[in-house]
Amino acid sequence: MSRAHQLKISVSGIRGVVGDFLTPNLACAFAQAFGTYVGPGPVVIGRDTRASGEMLEHAVTCGLLAAGCEVIKVGIAPTPTIQVYVAEIRACGGIAVTASHNPPEYNALKLFNREGLFFNHYERTELLDLYHQSEFRQATNDGIRRVSSDTETPPRRHFARVLAHVDVEKIRARRFRVALDGVNGAGSVMSVQFLRDVLGCEVHAISVDPTKPFPREAEPKPEVLGDLQALIRSSKADIAFAQDPDGDRLAVGDETGRILDNDDVLALAVDCALGKRQGPVVVNLTTSAVIDDVAARHGCRVFRAPVGEANVVERMKAVSAVIGGEGSNGGIIFPAVQYCRDSYLGMAFLLERLAETGSTMSELAATLPRYHRRLGKMAFQHGRLGTMMQALETLFPGAKADRTDGLKLCLEEGWIHVRASNTEPLLRIAAEARTPEMLEELYRKAESVG
Amino acid sequence: MAARSLRISQVGLRGIVGNGLTAAHVLDFAAAFGTFLDGPGPVILGRDPRSSGIMMREGVIAGLLATGHDVVDLGVVSTPVIQHSIRRLDARGGISIGASHNAAEWNALKFFGPRGTYLSSAEASELLDIYHLKKFQFEEWHALGKLRTDSAAIDCYLDDLARAFDLPLLSRFRVLVDCTNGTSALILHRMNQRFGTQFILINEPLEGRAFAHEPSTTRKMAEMQLAPLVRCTGAEAGFLFDIDSDRVAFCTETGEAASEEMVLVLLADWFLEQGPGRIVITNVSTTALLEEVAARYGGQVVRVAVGRHSAIDALSGYRPEQIAVAGEGTGAVMMPRFRFVYDGIASMLAILSMMDRRGQSLSELLSRYPMYSILKGKIPLQTHLIPNMFQDIEERFPDGRLDHTDGLRIDWPGRWVHVRVSQTEPLVRVICEQRGEAPLELFDQVMDLVRSYTS
Repeated sequence: MSRAHQLKISVSGIRGVVGDFLTPNLACAFAQAFGTYVGPGPVVIGRDTRASGEMLEHAVTCGLLAAGCEVIKVGIAPTPTIQVYVAEIRACGGIAVTASHNPPEYNALKLFNREGLFFNHYERTELLDLYHQSEFRQATNDGIRRVSSDTETPPRRHFARVLAHVDVEKIRARRFRVALDGVNGAGSVMSVQFLRDVLGCEVHAISVDPTKPFPREAEPKPEVLGDLQALIRSSKADIAFAQDPDGDRLAVGDETGRILDNDDVLALAVDCALGKRQGPVVVNLTTSAVIDDVAARHGCRVFRAPVGEANVVERMKAVSAVIGGEGSNGGIIFPAVQYCRDSYLGMAFLLERLAETGSTMSELAATLPRYHRRLGKMAFQHGRLGTMMQALETLFPGAKADRTDGLKLCLEEGWIHVRASNTEPLLRIAAEARTPEMLEELYRKAESVG
Repeated sequence: MAARSLRISQVGLRGIVGNGLTAAHVLDFAAAFGTFLDGPGPVILGRDPRSSGIMMREGVIAGLLATGHDVVDLGVVSTPVIQHSIRRLDARGGISIGASHNAAEWNALKFFGPRGTYLSSAEASELLDIYHLKKFQFEEWHALGKLRTDSAAIDCYLDDLARAFDLPLLSRFRVLVDCTNGTSALILHRMNQRFGTQFILINEPLEGRAFAHEPSTTRKMAEMQLAPLVRCTGAEAGFLFDIDSDRVAFCTETGEAASEEMVLVLLADWFLEQGPGRIVITNVSTTALLEEVAARYGGQVVRVAVGRHSAIDALSGYRPEQIAVAGEGTGAVMMPRFRFVYDGIASMLAILSMMDRRGQSLSELLSRYPMYSILKGKIPLQTHLIPNMFQDIEERFPDGRLDHTDGLRIDWPGRWVHVRVSQTEPLVRVICEQRGEAPLELFDQVMDLVRSYTS
């Protein structure tokens, strides 16, 4: 039997296939552990549009109430909106019921601290131990607090934080024509309002019905955005946006119907942010060197963190970064709004760049240095990983090696990054070079160690 | 031995929340019930006003949705309203969250089948097996249930009551009602609004943490809480409800609190008069006055073990039209007209109808019965000596007629004693009754004997 990971309980929380694996009982117990950990103050709970979201929301609420927490339900809301709201109302913590870009049969709990951020590694370990010990705080009838609901305020607070950092009037004046694919996800409840009412765009939207299933693969990869590309052409849009089910990731299309590389989207956002204020940038090890080039234009430094939003955020806080993100994942993190991947901030920044420069989206993308990238994966047998890594290193004797997360080899002509997946016995390979030929050679050499 | 604060049995799940009864129990039981139920139709959910009810509600919803059942949440309503809605909405079953006559820190889950009746003992035992096995039938993501609410439940229930009772006629009575901060307040307030009835409500606000007084429907409670107020307000009757309105106690217009046994006696009288020769189903702990009343109408009393499952099992052996009424000496009575649901509100309306039709006050109605005196006691149990205790009592009273339906009951002409082990609390109960004066000597004798097994 293949070792499909249908349930994973780890320091990152709890994730699995709903049904026999991710059960309401597990979600309730995990929430009660969380409630015990964060204390009785209000805990915010929201969810994406997955069919299992409602059921799990009730299970989580049950666990939180049993731990003596007050619960504030924000209903269907994007993850960044929940994270902003937790910080805004000074809650004790927050839980987003979402499996982000995973397929619809999955669901998960994302856990946030009182600032609306991921717990640090040590806190996450502590929480996991608490869950395993099952010694939860048990509120008695006198200690059970109330459940309230607030679906109005969270989007408003989120928009206000984003708008504080862009020139709204400049964007509104251009009356951009925007194509949007909301994947019927959590963004469906507020993206159209954001683009049309707040930013004054003419919006052509598909898949913005939160009651419907995901019409495409949940992760907004270029190859699944055919409908959006058709919409760009039919609506003659200036720019196009695609979200994932919980509205943290963003894909961008230009006016010709081409979907931009996610690293380039991040590079444009970095350019925009550093243009407002200079400072350090943090990206993960797999993110393109295009970020270094853009940062260099502003005289700013780039730090690299292991793959994973929590790792990037932890590093960003440590170095007081101005902006950060994960290139290939389509995540832009702008701490002045919140330390989280935020598709709304991304949309606002790109529209502002268009407004400021007067360029088209394709022209804007063309200003970036050209790199060629390839991502892939390779199955490996347990126990073979170390040998493969060693073999790879000997293949590139002159390379500078970074072992922060797997192995990254930096060369004159580009780089290679290989790391084991957290969820499957798979090796993820990323390579980047200046020319397609150089990339092909790098990638083939890396593959040869399998 | 530590006081037990969690009881998982055929009766369902009951315990002190946070101190025995946890969220995990609630989820497991809801998932077990969802696994137990099959076929189409939603599951109806309601709760009493206890604060812990909001936590339990979330867990029950999650467990039912996860096992593929749609849920209709009625919010805070009485147990009889939940049972009524199960029929009305053609539901698969129902769950009532509430600990009825227990103190505020307790809570419980009660389960109902597709007709709104309690589960039979066979069904309850199957549910319990599923709970213990913990192999629940969780559905895949695309087959989960959906939640909806329904705010019409109380009005629809009132419509049904209005068909059975002449409410405008009953509005001539000024009646004082102690709602004990429970769900009866919602129903009676609405009944006053819609039908002009004159129920004067006290302890009306719903309370989550502390009830105005212990929510039990005993004579003692009616005497302390209700009787003095009835006297000074000049009301024609006073009624007192437990939290989920399935039980009722009452006092007369003269401020005399009636024995809790008398609700069933009055209703047996009333329904036997309308259908002579019918059967009254009750348990072996309930007053022997019932036999006398039944005899007046050629009726018969069938006595079963204490507990609602026994009553439900017994009812299933008869056609509805054979039954006059069924109930307990606790103020919980079910009528065929109300689909055999313990319903305190319907019981009250039936008593008022009886006053109206017979043109008699409550005290006049009660004066028609000979005096019976009942004594009730409880003693914490020493579990492993219970069989010896029963043996000892049997040997001590060789002249009586023995009945082993539930523990031990011994009958003599004009008096009886019943010793049984409680299903819900770690107690031995002693009930002793005599036609006429209280059987003090017999009661003390048995209590002493039981007590000798407790240390």
